[in-house]
Amino acid sequence: MSHVAIDLKASLKSFWRNKSTIFWTLAFPTVLILLFGAIFSQSSMRYDLYVQNQDLTDGEPTYWSNNFITALNSTNAFNIQTVNATINATDYALTNRLSTLLIIPPGFNTSANTALYTHGATTANVTFVYDQSTSSALVVQSIVISIVDRLNFELSQGVDYLTVQDLTIAPQRFGYIDFFVPGVIGMTAMTTSIFTSVSISAQFKKNGIFHKLATTPLRRYEWILSRTIYNVLISYLGMAVMILMGIGIFGMKMTLDAVSLLMVAMASLMFTGLGMIIARFVKDPDGADAAANVITFPMMFLSGTFFQLSQMPQFLQTIARVLPLTYVSEGLRAAMIFGQTQQAIYNTALITVLGIASIVIGSLITKWEED
Amino acid sequence: MSNDVAIDVQELTKRYGELVAVNGISFTVNRGEIFAFLGPNGAGKTTTVEILECLRKPTSGKAYVLGFDIGKNQREIKKRTGVLPQDFYTYERLTVKETIQYYAGMFDAHPDVDELIRLVDLEEKKNDLFKNLSGGLKQRLGIAVALVNDPDMLFLDEPSAGLDPKARHGVWHLIDGLHKKGKTVFLTTHYMEEAEILADRVGIIHNGRIIALDSPENLISEHGTKNLLILKKTSPQAVPNIQKLGIKARYDGTTGDVTVHLNHAVGVSEILHALSSTDVPFGELQLKRSSLEDVFLNLTGVSLGEEESSI
Repeated sequence: MSHVAIDLKASLKSFWRNKSTIFWTLAFPTVLILLFGAIFSQSSMRYDLYVQNQDLTDGEPTYWSNNFITALNSTNAFNIQTVNATINATDYALTNRLSTLLIIPPGFNTSANTALYTHGATTANVTFVYDQSTSSALVVQSIVISIVDRLNFELSQGVDYLTVQDLTIAPQRFGYIDFFVPGVIGMTAMTTSIFTSVSISAQFKKNGIFHKLATTPLRRYEWILSRTIYNVLISYLGMAVMILMGIGIFGMKMTLDAVSLLMVAMASLMFTGLGMIIARFVKDPDGADAAANVITFPMMFLSGTFFQLSQMPQFLQTIARVLPLTYVSEGLRAAMIFGQTQQAIYNTALITVLGIASIVIGSLITKWEED
Repeated sequence: MSNDVAIDVQELTKRYGELVAVNGISFTVNRGEIFAFLGPNGAGKTTTVEILECLRKPTSGKAYVLGFDIGKNQREIKKRTGVLPQDFYTYERLTVKETIQYYAGMFDAHPDVDELIRLVDLEEKKNDLFKNLSGGLKQRLGIAVALVNDPDMLFLDEPSAGLDPKARHGVWHLIDGLHKKGKTVFLTTHYMEEAEILADRVGIIHNGRIIALDSPENLISEHGTKNLLILKKTSPQAVPNIQKLGIKARYDGTTGDVTVHLNHAVGVSEILHALSSTDVPFGELQLKRSSLEDVFLNLTGVSLGEEESSI
């Protein structure tokens, strides 16, 4: 076991001293998160606001409801989407995962007129349905309230004729970043483990380091164990950086539990084994990188790392189902984001079985010396 | 096997398909001696040494290293031997000191690392990363690494290949020092000078077979050409004058030199006397000692250099 610790220490020292390796190991996922996070998570200056106007006369908006919508439009802050007046707006918001929806109830026009005549003894109310778990909903809410305040000021110098009633909905809503980060963690475990084991194997073979190691009492499985632990640690490092960025920059919501940590370790094990299998069939370091690319790139794009599988054509979804990274990404999302423990455990168990199989095959076919 | 024998090889053969890399060789290496395998690239030197290092399996034959069977006691052999592979390479970003400590750990050994660094004269470089060392320094570090387990037996595979003359002499000095400490050294080389200077005994290997095995002196005396006297810029008339003394002489029309094959019966002074008495002019005199190069040439019909360039 001490041999494993010695080799691991040497590998980590080498990693630490190779600044470009550190950079590229962490830079790729970092850039991806910043890029995709910025594209898909950052709200634009205009927010989607769904509005259901139930206060209609002969299918046309009443005077005050129309005025209110015009006031909303005048801010240029919203892309106003009209929702059919006859449907249940709250259900609609839940079903369509809307973060905000404004309901102008029937009789709003009458209530507003009454409020005017009574100088605010009664009020006219709108209902703001929102998902408090999204930051954009809170922004939209504050804009809506400020519009109502402005209308009240214009009408009555500040007496509340119009009020906003809040109705929160808290469906299981997740932002793109929540979806994305676990995918990139899985992808990084894959690229780190495959590239490291493929290129190290090819380099050690070419430079004769395997040859030298074979003349020492170090056993092959001890070296493989050291490399596997190394890959797990580097994957954890990548995971830590990505989680910190996800939370710090994009307000990602997640939990880090034993299952997700185990999943990353088992994914590293599986991809280390896969890397060793690839390395067995390549002759030199350049060929090794090319071979690793051939394996990792399709997996990266077809395993639901960047986009949900359901958004892909059916035949690609079928391919994704046979790619191990799919189960890593889905397992990590289930554990870290959705709280679907059973699904997470199932996927982790599957990856553990595949991991053990691939590391055993990789170990058996890896040779330090020729016959 | 006698305790005095460090390596005992019996009818060792290694085939790769149709190619016979090592063809039924047998030899022994005595404890405490430097034994050199001399031959061109592709002769079977490295294959043989790697079989003895337990890195390759022989097709047939037997071999014992330090009394252990290479087929059965590989770990025992690895624990007791030190290996300098051709072009020693290791983790690029470990320092000299860390590299020695790393390999010491692999042997569960606790050598005096600073002493090893001193031995290979790398004190000033001990905190330098491996990747920043020159070829000669890398080889010296490789020798220190081969010594971490204080081995009884050292395998040095082409220890000075690719090094400049200064670095090569540094490595030779080191190997000689190890010999003086009583280590048994098995080295392979295609430099005849290396074998001649370092080795107690030399095995000349050609096409997978040992074609001669003895001390360098005996090999030269038995298979070498005689020592030569070269008379620079003389006339063809010198040849009959010298031949009258009963020794061979040859005139080279291109250079104007006469080459005389010396033997014990006639001294250089008699040759010079024969020439001066007949007023045959000559420029300078050159004495050329016979070497292992000549031995190889005589035994194989090709020189080491020619053999290499043909591979």
